[in-house]
Amino acid sequence: MNPDLAVAALVCMVSLMFMLPLVPALVELRRKSDAQPLNVVQQHAGEIRFFANSFRDYIKGLEPTMQRCVADGTTATGTLRDGEEYVVLGRADAPLLLALQQRDAIHPVVLAAGVDLIVPPSATFSRDIYAGRQFVGGDKNNYRAILGEKNVHLGASSRVMRWVHAVGEFTAGLGCRLFGRISSDLLIRLHANCSFLRLNAPRIEIGRAPVDPDATTPNSSLPSDAVSAAVPRFLHDGDFEVRHGQIIRSNIVIRGKLVVRSGARICGSVKGDKDVVIENEVSVEGSLICARKMRIGPQCAIHGPVIAERELSIASGTRCGTVEHPTTVSAPRIDVAEGVVVFGTLWARERGQVVANP
Amino acid sequence: MIYVLYVIVFVICVYTGRHYFFTLNRLFAFQRHPYIDIDTADWPPVTVLVAAHNEEKVIANILDALMTVKYPADKMLVIPVNDRSTDRTREIIDKFVEKFPGRIQPFHRAGGKGGKAAALKDAMELVSTEVILIFDADYIPGAGLIKQLAAPFFDLEVGGVMGRVVPLNAGTNLLTRLLDLERSGGYQVDQQARMNLRLVPQHGGTVAGVRLSALREIGGWNENSLTEDTDLTYRLLLNGWKTVYQNRSECYEEVPEVWPVRIKQIMRWAKGHNQAMMTYGPRLLLGKHRATLRERLDGTLLLGVYAMAPITLVGWTLALGVFYQGVAPLHGVIALLSLTAYAALGNLAAFFEIAAAARLDGTRKRVSLLPFLILGFGVSIFSVSRAAVSQISDLVTGAEFHWDKTERFRKVL
Repeated sequence: MNPDLAVAALVCMVSLMFMLPLVPALVELRRKSDAQPLNVVQQHAGEIRFFANSFRDYIKGLEPTMQRCVADGTTATGTLRDGEEYVVLGRADAPLLLALQQRDAIHPVVLAAGVDLIVPPSATFSRDIYAGRQFVGGDKNNYRAILGEKNVHLGASSRVMRWVHAVGEFTAGLGCRLFGRISSDLLIRLHANCSFLRLNAPRIEIGRAPVDPDATTPNSSLPSDAVSAAVPRFLHDGDFEVRHGQIIRSNIVIRGKLVVRSGARICGSVKGDKDVVIENEVSVEGSLICARKMRIGPQCAIHGPVIAERELSIASGTRCGTVEHPTTVSAPRIDVAEGVVVFGTLWARERGQVVANP
Repeated sequence: MIYVLYVIVFVICVYTGRHYFFTLNRLFAFQRHPYIDIDTADWPPVTVLVAAHNEEKVIANILDALMTVKYPADKMLVIPVNDRSTDRTREIIDKFVEKFPGRIQPFHRAGGKGGKAAALKDAMELVSTEVILIFDADYIPGAGLIKQLAAPFFDLEVGGVMGRVVPLNAGTNLLTRLLDLERSGGYQVDQQARMNLRLVPQHGGTVAGVRLSALREIGGWNENSLTEDTDLTYRLLLNGWKTVYQNRSECYEEVPEVWPVRIKQIMRWAKGHNQAMMTYGPRLLLGKHRATLRERLDGTLLLGVYAMAPITLVGWTLALGVFYQGVAPLHGVIALLSLTAYAALGNLAAFFEIAAAARLDGTRKRVSLLPFLILGFGVSIFSVSRAAVSQISDLVTGAEFHWDKTERFRKVL
């Protein structure tokens, strides 16, 4: 072979090999198949009611049909604008619901009811349900999503896969498993052994919560703003203990383990960089934030947001937020005892569990 | 000469290890987003400062967006900080003030020292809220962003908050696509890993927040700093305050669309960062303050990132020198190891980080542009080295730092 040709061939081959990784890059640069900006949610703020509101808009067109069915006591079927099939119920007797439940296993449909809906036990509904009036579910039912314009009650051991919104009260019986977003415009009540992820309501009662006359008033004369600079900051390196009945008039940041003994009152916010233990009848008038595990004892009152980065347990009788100042309680894993009341949001990223009182 | 090369290779290996560690942490470890779930609260009053110097192309977009965010209107005041603009910025701001009475309070600055920090410092006379949020004028905040950036301030340890920056003009040309990938790596992996590991997430000075009492405690904005964000990060850290990063608090920005603008931008960042390194580096690493050991180490490495470009160039030169001198250090074993670590790992670690970020972002095809990052890497290394040389010569001659505003490319509304 001609040596010049060999050298040229070698140079060409090496150049080709060098260019090889650039081929997909050049193709992508030319085609721009993935050149859109990353999707950043601009229009909404991750509101818990987002899906419920969207579903309400989605089935708005069924309103006249629903009114007609209620007036006539009939049912109607049809197709929504995206091709999804629906059944509108103007009556809801047991044989009809049984037939619907059997149909769901083969051919799921969106269900819209203009009358009270009393669902038999052990039923599965794979599409969203709209309940124009009361919704009462039997035990061991499985739901995808429910929008209730009045109260929604789920029977024991029921499961919700995506979301429920109740304009009235929402109640979950013993041992329900609530995997998605649960919201109510009035009240959420979870009974023992329920599991949950994200809850939001003006008042969330765990189990049978006591009536609390103080729940409508803020607990102090301090500014309700939990980030206020009006309260000085006390920063401590190492472990720290707030003594029984002690009153601390500052924000406290502890870079160690923090124990707040019973009856103490902190007129400010609290941050613990390690585990935090709050004993019984403690009052915190600002936020309560822990970088690891936090245990809140019985009969405590926390005014601001409660955040634990790992685990959080809340004992019976504790109250977080107030009617006038709702707040957020959040942690990856939350154990919350019967008798706890949260005003606002209770959000367990991985697992929330209602623990039955002995 | 050979010992200097050893040191350089060692430092490069440290940064390489850091890149890999951050990427693996981001891919497989527990991810910290402690404040993102705060969606119900007694929201604090906030002041939103919008830094604007000749921003007629973009200022209306951000003011429009801020007027529609989901935050109690009576608790949010927007202050556009119009810093000596000579275009229509003032006119546009004043129209918004008329349209939204009581919600926007303009701060028109006609003179004074140049630079964002100086402008923000002057605007502080209008600020009375404990939470201050800062945006550059080319940003477009989404509906939930203000709540997300305000939420970390419920934590009394937090002095500064930083959100994630996402290029809006990502698809314009090769440069914007490369910058989009770089931003992904920097925020999705680097910043989030530092947040996970409780290290030093960096305050970016935009899509960001600062606590007023913390700012006062550290002496306010440093108008002598070219990068007020880096300066703020380190002064907060040295005074016992944390800066936290919120990866899900995303906001669109506009990235440079032409190389000269990009080069100017990165040169300013390099100078400001090096300035912070000289000012705070020794004290952070060895001084008596409240930063933890891991914060000291990470903070020092973070301060050194822009110094790595000239160091790498010196390393290349020395390596060539050693080669032509025929030196085989430690019988060639170390040289071989160093060469492997330096050439294979050193140059690829950042690319690995960016590829991981693209995967986390759920984008598939854009990662194929990765080989072109060599181009961006080459431009950066020479621009940053040039900035370092010019900074040293400025020190010698006593010349003052000059503030270069980043040019905008959006069409005038």
